[in-house]
Amino acid sequence: MYKQVLHALWSALRLPIVLLAVLAFAVPLLTVTYGGNLAEAPTGRVAEWVFAAQQIGVLIPGLALLVGLLLGIGAWMHDHAGKHVYALSLPVTRERYVWLRFAAGATLLLAPVAALGLGALVAVLSVTLPSGIHSYPLQLTARFLLASLTCYAIFFAISISTKRAALVVLGLVGGVLLGDLLLTAVGAGASVTSTMFMWLTNWPGPLSILIGRWALFDV
Amino acid sequence: MSDAIVTHDLAYRAGKHFELRDLGLHVREGSIYGFLGPNGSGKTTTIRLLLGMLRPARGTISVLGRPVPLDIARIMAETGYVPERPHLYPYLTVEQAVRFHAAFYPDFDEGYAAELRSAFAIPLEQRLAALSKGEMGKLHMLLVLAQRPRLLVLDEPTDGLDPVVRRDVLSALLDFCSQGTATVFISSHLVHELERICDWVGVLDNGKLVVELPMHGFKNGIKRIRLAHAPSLVGDTPFVMLQREVSGLEQVWVVRGWQAPMVQWFEGVGAEVREIVDLDLEEGFVELLRSSRTPAS
Repeated sequence: MYKQVLHALWSALRLPIVLLAVLAFAVPLLTVTYGGNLAEAPTGRVAEWVFAAQQIGVLIPGLALLVGLLLGIGAWMHDHAGKHVYALSLPVTRERYVWLRFAAGATLLLAPVAALGLGALVAVLSVTLPSGIHSYPLQLTARFLLASLTCYAIFFAISISTKRAALVVLGLVGGVLLGDLLLTAVGAGASVTSTMFMWLTNWPGPLSILIGRWALFDV
Repeated sequence: MSDAIVTHDLAYRAGKHFELRDLGLHVREGSIYGFLGPNGSGKTTTIRLLLGMLRPARGTISVLGRPVPLDIARIMAETGYVPERPHLYPYLTVEQAVRFHAAFYPDFDEGYAAELRSAFAIPLEQRLAALSKGEMGKLHMLLVLAQRPRLLVLDEPTDGLDPVVRRDVLSALLDFCSQGTATVFISSHLVHELERICDWVGVLDNGKLVVELPMHGFKNGIKRIRLAHAPSLVGDTPFVMLQREVSGLEQVWVVRGWQAPMVQWFEGVGAEVREIVDLDLEEGFVELLRSSRTPAS
């Protein structure tokens, strides 16, 4: 059952998944495009190179967001179009089918994660690092996996919800923005939007994994 | 004989304008039950309630002896469902769709599926998105028949199909029915189509079950009677009056539940029976709907 669900999802999303995997493989390699042998390089150049690695590292959480978005929305796209009639006619409980779909999407998510891991490994092996600089290919891959999985879970949950639930969420967001405008108008110092953003992106907020340093190389 | 589908006092409301009321269905096991009704009468909604896709506002549903929606996964394991519009995944090929479907049914009959695929001439490597409406209809029928279900629920399975495909689909259905004791619940507004295959019929109009009876009772029991000297006031009758029209000195009555000895009732009230005409299912259906909307005086 799981195998067939996985196969069906792969048939639906293989092209964007392959593209994301190629991107995920390429991003760590971009980090070292002008790295080369840095063992004897002057300090200035090493610092510049580490800075560039950090700048390129910013792409990785963006990629995780994209992977999560694609798989989370793509997992239910055709079911939405058919009002879930086929899925509901299958002899499994709704909960089980949802888990099957989630598991299939999570499995496909491993393709870009593995590609990023491989890219990171190739990148690390292609340079000679100066003393004091370390590489973190495994940590970066593990973090990318967690970030992708988090984004996937969020978009999967949004995607599976009813139109009414989506409207409630949109209404809440609109309400918060309106509240912020009113607070600004009356000259209050507080901002609900920034408070919510801080709550979401600071530990233990669910999106905190996307924030912070994503460099493959660091001190 | 037990019932494959029983509903009691079923009610459901969708928006402000549509409501199912007091629906009491009894579909006998092994029967081919035609669920008739005009467009928008609530046939699809009823089917979705039966299959646990919608939650009723009131009432109980039992399918294959199990309660809905509590036991719906086990019910669906023994039920084949062809929806009004096929909703299979369009990115799969025919072969992949068959494999996907089969994975959910341990008793899926691969041999029968291959036999049907060959009979229906559905190309194996074709993507579902590229199939014609007829091919899609046949594929869906193939999938549910190969499940070897105890209950088949078909929602307008031939609607919009050309006559050749319609014949293929119906003959596959009849072949399947002749092989075992499956119950078939088939909804349609194409009355003549059901006339040939069903042995029970239920008529739904505007969310209400108008009648439910054996097909022979439905076909033989509805008559158009031309009368002279008919009484202007009618008290108790041994039949159900559906329609009454006055045309000069004559009256034309459409009645349900007719039996030959009832002609004596007219003699008793001083009326002269000039002609008794058999109505076919379609005419009977139309008269039934007219009478349910404007009851005869």
